Amino acid sequence: MLNTSYAGRSLPPTEPVVITADAVTRFAQALGLDDDGTVPPTFLISLTLPAAERLIDDPDFGLDWSRVLHREQRFAYHRELRAGAAVTCASTIESIKSVAGNDLLALRTDVADGDGLAAEVWTTLFVAGDAA
Amino acid sequence: MSLTGLEAGQTVFTSAFAVTRADLVAYADASGDQNPIHQDEAAAKAAGLPDVIAHGMYTMGLVSRAVREWSRGAGLDATLTDFSARFAKPVVVPADGGAEVVVEGKIRKLDATSVELAMTVTSGGEKVLAPARATLVVK
Repeated sequence: MLNTSYAGRSLPPTEPVVITADAVTRFAQALGLDDDGTVPPTFLISLTLPAAERLIDDPDFGLDWSRVLHREQRFAYHRELRAGAAVTCASTIESIKSVAGNDLLALRTDVADGDGLAAEVWTTLFVAGDAA
Repeated sequence: MSLTGLEAGQTVFTSAFAVTRADLVAYADASGDQNPIHQDEAAAKAAGLPDVIAHGMYTMGLVSRAVREWSRGAGLDATLTDFSARFAKPVVVPADGGAEVVVEGKIRKLDATSVELAMTVTSGGEKVLAPARATLVVK
């Protein structure tokens, strides 16, 4: 079981990371998307999940990655991001819900560029309990 | 083209994508998600899965491709503002023959400047994402 006292915890934004044209091209190619210089719709997961890991990869939190399944994913985009953008990621544990001995861990990461909040990324992880 | 001519409830595209193990390796390298259950049969089986499964985010990425191909094909100059999915069942990708992912897009809501699509996504006859939604706002 997860340590529910972690609900509501957040981390300050990461240092800015540049989304390189090369990373965008490789991601677009892996999905068969035409590469038009915009950041592909699901690209931000490759930044937001590592950012959130800094918050949840903590022995006191009790997360066992071998029991984790990705349950839900949502992206809200406030403006279009293009290759070359420098973004920061700020992660929050929005909630930890226990359902039939399993945990649902809801994370939100705010992605900002020089002009402010550019996207919000929500990830819900299903964490199987001991009986599963 | 604008949003005129479209109506709620209308099915606007059906796209089928072949998925192979090599596609999953390429996606793992591009995304940084190297979880072995997406590449290695023994690791997948040890985790209680029938075989190697696609990354949920790979499947969601294919849905984004289907949406983009439809909007470009329809001549819509639009921006994706919201995109969501729930991962209901895994996409199982055998070494021999791979898998097929079928994405059907329907118009859920529509107003003068935006359209919300609901996608039904299946593989091997099973619904793998339930639901997946995308909102496009015309520029």
